[in-house]
Amino acid sequence: MSADEFDPMVERLFSRSPAMADADLFAAEVRARLEKRSRVRGFALGLAGVIGGCVAVRETMNFSVSTGLHEGQTLTQGFRAASLTAQASVQSGLDGLGVTSIDLTSGSGMQMFWIVAGALFVLLAAGLVRLSQDV
Amino acid sequence: MRQALRDLHDTELAAQAAAGGRREYGELVRRHGSAVRGLLRRMGAEASLADDVAQDAFLQGFQRCAEFRGDGPFAGWIKKIAARLYLKRVRHEARYVAEVEADEAALPVDHAGLVDLDEALKTLNEAERLCVSLCHGAGMSHPEIAAAMNLPLGTVKSHVKRGLDKLRARLQPAADRNGRSIHVG
Repeated sequence: MSADEFDPMVERLFSRSPAMADADLFAAEVRARLEKRSRVRGFALGLAGVIGGCVAVRETMNFSVSTGLHEGQTLTQGFRAASLTAQASVQSGLDGLGVTSIDLTSGSGMQMFWIVAGALFVLLAAGLVRLSQDV
Repeated sequence: MRQALRDLHDTELAAQAAAGGRREYGELVRRHGSAVRGLLRRMGAEASLADDVAQDAFLQGFQRCAEFRGDGPFAGWIKKIAARLYLKRVRHEARYVAEVEADEAALPVDHAGLVDLDEALKTLNEAERLCVSLCHGAGMSHPEIAAAMNLPLGTVKSHVKRGLDKLRARLQPAADRNGRSIHVG
């Protein structure tokens, strides 16, 4: 038998896998792990959403109380004010670390603040998704 | 419902699995689980490790189901995933660079005179066995195997050739002696 005939024959032999007695049990185990992973992921994402929502609401309400926002002021103004508070907090932290060259209250500094905040949020979300996949 | 799933083609099941259909994917696991586990055992994995890696491969396959485009058989696609996962597991042991010659005494023919590929593969060394299994069992090309095993392309080709030569030496006499084509025992 030549190599041209033998190679396809080996492939045919490989393609005929022996039937395994516990094939159904194996499939059931894989399905159980899929279900468990799906539940864990749903729980992790839901929990992250709830925590994020609570933090956002708390920040907004805190600002409203401390600055005495009048009823009727738009939610946009509230978020803007909350963002200014957050920037001020980060700025004071940077000042405390001796990084005074970065001014978050300026236009470019504000942009950088939001870019970094967005990147951190994306990293956190990616980490949560990855964590849920690994469980 | 189960009967309906059994009537669907692999490509249809994979498409529904890509949309989150776990029952459809379960049917794919039922169809191809034994083939994947069998390949891993032929690559040299012990039964428990083969089952473990096969489960991981199917879980990864579910995540990546959208990548399966149906231009080849689903079995080949999932086998490649499983083979790569197994290689990752054994890579740190560097088992496939060992050049241990196997016992050449036993001829892999069962009572009925049928040739047993699994027994024949045991006469290959680790590197040859892996390369032949990846090439002819998982359908990977030589460059793909070289990349997956982190070996030079020429080395992979040598392993495949030597492995096939050994298989041929063992499988052909049995076939000739029985005067018929070779069957899996």
